Amino acid sequence: MRVVRLLVGKDLRLEWRGREIVSAMGLLALLLAIVLGATRSGPEAAPAAMWVTYAFGATLGFTRTFALERDHLTALLLAPLDRGLIFAAKALTNWLGLVVVQVISLPLFGALFTETIWTRLPALALPMLLGGIGLAAVGTLFGGLIVQARLREALLPILMLPVVLPLVIAAVGATTGILDGLPVWAIGAQLQLLLVFDIIFVTASFLLFEYVVEE
Amino acid sequence: MRVLLFLGSALMLVGVAWALLAAPTELFQGAPQRIMYLHVPSVVTAYVALLVVFAGSVLYLWRRDPRWDRLARSSAELGVLFISMTLLSGAIWGKAVWGAWWTWDARLTTTLILWFIYIGYLMVRAWAPGARGARAAAIIGIVGVLDIPIIHWSAILLRTLHPQPTVFRPQGPALPPSMLIPLVINLVAFMLVFAGLLLLRVRQERTLDALAETLEGSA
Repeated sequence: MRVVRLLVGKDLRLEWRGREIVSAMGLLALLLAIVLGATRSGPEAAPAAMWVTYAFGATLGFTRTFALERDHLTALLLAPLDRGLIFAAKALTNWLGLVVVQVISLPLFGALFTETIWTRLPALALPMLLGGIGLAAVGTLFGGLIVQARLREALLPILMLPVVLPLVIAAVGATTGILDGLPVWAIGAQLQLLLVFDIIFVTASFLLFEYVVEE
Repeated sequence: MRVLLFLGSALMLVGVAWALLAAPTELFQGAPQRIMYLHVPSVVTAYVALLVVFAGSVLYLWRRDPRWDRLARSSAELGVLFISMTLLSGAIWGKAVWGAWWTWDARLTTTLILWFIYIGYLMVRAWAPGARGARAAAIIGIVGVLDIPIIHWSAILLRTLHPQPTVFRPQGPALPPSMLIPLVINLVAFMLVFAGLLLLRVRQERTLDALAETLEGSA
């Protein structure tokens, strides 16, 4: 735990000083919200617009968290740590970045799409948290996978979006239900899928990460 | 390998001829139903190919023997080929019977998403050559198969329109023998062609790797 805390602390401190990733991700998210809102801004379009925004924001930001190590990746790998812990730290950093993006883009979705977001905020937090964890798990695994590949910025969305599509479908379903005023138990199936997705991909990524970063 | 390809192609001719000429016309769907004789074998072959990718990927990560990587890589190419054939034949059938090229049905969505995942696999191979690309691809090969049940489940949450399985179901096939026989012939033919092409491709890759090694050695 201490290792993870240290690694996350290091990344967050770096990010706090430069604010590169969150500003790029956040700006992209705001832009997407505006582009999507300008083309179709009814309340029924809100869930899809939100999740398209989060998924694309994630693909942009997650390529950077490994790139930020640049030449230090080798140093990080030389540290006598379980590779799973490096994954955990990177995934946590990515997830926190995504949460920031989710939070700062909410007012825009509230203003452009539907005010219902504010009245259903506690329920809405469920799919946003569960969906965010899954996006961070898959994004961190693939982000680490392609950090040394050519064209990695193009490659991450191509690899990540199809794999997270079930998550996006379930998250949009859950968000739609919540914004339509359904009680939380009515979207149990969607939340269940999100939870299973998170468990499978957090576990698989944790185990596979050892093979991702070796030299 | 040559025997497999020859046998498979010959059997496919028999199967296709049987499906077109001898098999009865389905009462409600009419002639387009005959697409099923190609559609079902190609989707089954595609999934077998993806399982071979999965097995090859796991074995490669475990054993680090480039042979397993060549197997996975070759099978992924064929998997994409057979998924493409499935999607195309399904779209043609769908246009004729449903009146639409595409619907967001569970099986259709799953197959389409798999197509994208394995295209991604091939792109990683193209952009990250060598052992690093092999490792990256192996992880995608594993994640792709893990994703199959979840994609399917999520698509069921959307909706489902695809005909229910009539052959691979717990109670046994519901298809009459007159339709089942050409289907099975084609299925066997597709598997033989797949196995033949897989061996051919693996051999090509082996030659290519050997060539690359020789060139590196002489340079």
